[in-house]
Amino acid sequence: MMSQALRRTRQGHPPSKRRHPNADQGARFTVPNEPLVYGVIGFILVLVLWEVVVDVGLAKASLLSSPTRIWTAAVADFGSGVIWPQISTSLLEWIVGFVLAIVVGIPVGLALGQVQRLEFLVEPWIYGLYATPSVALAPLLILIFGVGVEAKFAIVFLEGVITLLISTIAGSHAADRRHMEIAQSFGASRSLTFRSVTLPSSVPFIITGLRIAAGRALVGVIVAEFIAANVGLGFYISLNGTTLNSSRVMLGILLLGVFGIAVGQLIQRVERRFERWRPAIH
Amino acid sequence: MAESTLALRARGVRMEYRDRSTRERLVAIERMDLDIPHGEFVAIVGPSGCGKSTFLKIVDGLLPATDGEIETGGLGKGPDHAMVFQDSSLFPWYTVMGNVSYGLVCQGVRAKEAHERAMPLIRLVGLEGFEGKYPYQLSGGMQQRANLARALTVDPELLLMDEPFAALDAQTREIMQVELLRIWSQAQKTVIFVTHQIDEAIFLSDRVVVMSARPGRILADISIDLGRPRALDLKRTAAFTAYEDQVWKLIENQLTPVGQGSAQG
Repeated sequence: MMSQALRRTRQGHPPSKRRHPNADQGARFTVPNEPLVYGVIGFILVLVLWEVVVDVGLAKASLLSSPTRIWTAAVADFGSGVIWPQISTSLLEWIVGFVLAIVVGIPVGLALGQVQRLEFLVEPWIYGLYATPSVALAPLLILIFGVGVEAKFAIVFLEGVITLLISTIAGSHAADRRHMEIAQSFGASRSLTFRSVTLPSSVPFIITGLRIAAGRALVGVIVAEFIAANVGLGFYISLNGTTLNSSRVMLGILLLGVFGIAVGQLIQRVERRFERWRPAIH
Repeated sequence: MAESTLALRARGVRMEYRDRSTRERLVAIERMDLDIPHGEFVAIVGPSGCGKSTFLKIVDGLLPATDGEIETGGLGKGPDHAMVFQDSSLFPWYTVMGNVSYGLVCQGVRAKEAHERAMPLIRLVGLEGFEGKYPYQLSGGMQQRANLARALTVDPELLLMDEPFAALDAQTREIMQVELLRIWSQAQKTVIFVTHQIDEAIFLSDRVVVMSARPGRILADISIDLGRPRALDLKRTAAFTAYEDQVWKLIENQLTPVGQGSAQG
């Protein structure tokens, strides 16, 4: 490699910074789909390290568990089926609350963005509720709706709808002045201006809102189940925490992580569908 | 009767606004009287901030003038005027077709018919085959072709062009100037073309209106007798250079010694 580069230099091609001999060597290690491959390697490395640390006794298995112990717990609980109601209940709570939040939050947010005075009127409540942690609201909502799924719907809805309202209102004011001028110049009606300028301009904000709302809604589910529930992943984690079953706690956390990633992927799809007109970032 | 042959009649147009931070009253346009007969190509040049773009926005109805009157006279059924905006003013979420037919959709024309009526204009500006592309997939020159087609689609009597080629590179700009003349000769519109590019103004126009530095008013109204059709080599003729010198001297006198903004951009 080195000699080749040197020879090239002698032939009159000065080695540029990009053609540094080491650069060629680095390029030989390139693998297809680097982010995925390295991501998987990194994930597995930590699992192995975790297992080793626990097995050689550097950390207590009773507190930290370990990948193989979690796997054993997973096989047991999926095998016996006890984990399915926990998953399905949490999923139901999240979906119902989140869909309600979308159905209400986006249209109301867009409407508020159109009527400035109405927006000012409700603004303190929206921002007040956004700043309030759901942990604080959960006991009240459980008092009102009981320990069943209804209270969880309410918490998820509230978390989701407030986030979506804020981002949608921001989005409805995000239209470029130039684009508004074009609509005005060509004499677009109010409703056409809304459809052709305001709405497309708000899409990136709404999608960001969906992303944040999805996360906050999931926090809402778990918090509510921690406080009062007899089924659900939050209940499962909390119950196994109090009985010092760290493997099952870890399993619950892992399932939440998987769920979070899945939702993120789903939102990314929605994003691609709505933003065909944007150049690909990478 | 005489008025009816005018595409634009501006009388005593004045524009003042209050500076937001200093609360000072600024006069953007002192007084503008301008008559433009149908079919004429008029360029407005002047130093930066002379109010030439503001004047165009007043004509388009985007800004209310503080004082004065504007009359635009249409001959046919189309609207009186349409604006060709500065660069990157296409809607990024619409395709070329969506953008070009936008003006018609604004008039309540159904999408399908609007698309059919937009097609000849897309062809005229040389974008056939690009109807389904999004603006980010087009070069700057192609974007401005679409921008021009969008204004032409509504069949306006008066075409208002606000520095449409300012962001293009020098070669593309020259190509677009020739293209604009070709399209103009076919579309037979009255044009007001705002630019700070002196050679562009002279090359395109029948008349060049030179504006003063703020507060803007008309310094000179120069007829460009260079015949038509025009090709780019016209820019190298003595007659052309003489016009350039004449306009440049008028603008040069407007620039302060410290040179806040240059007319050549």
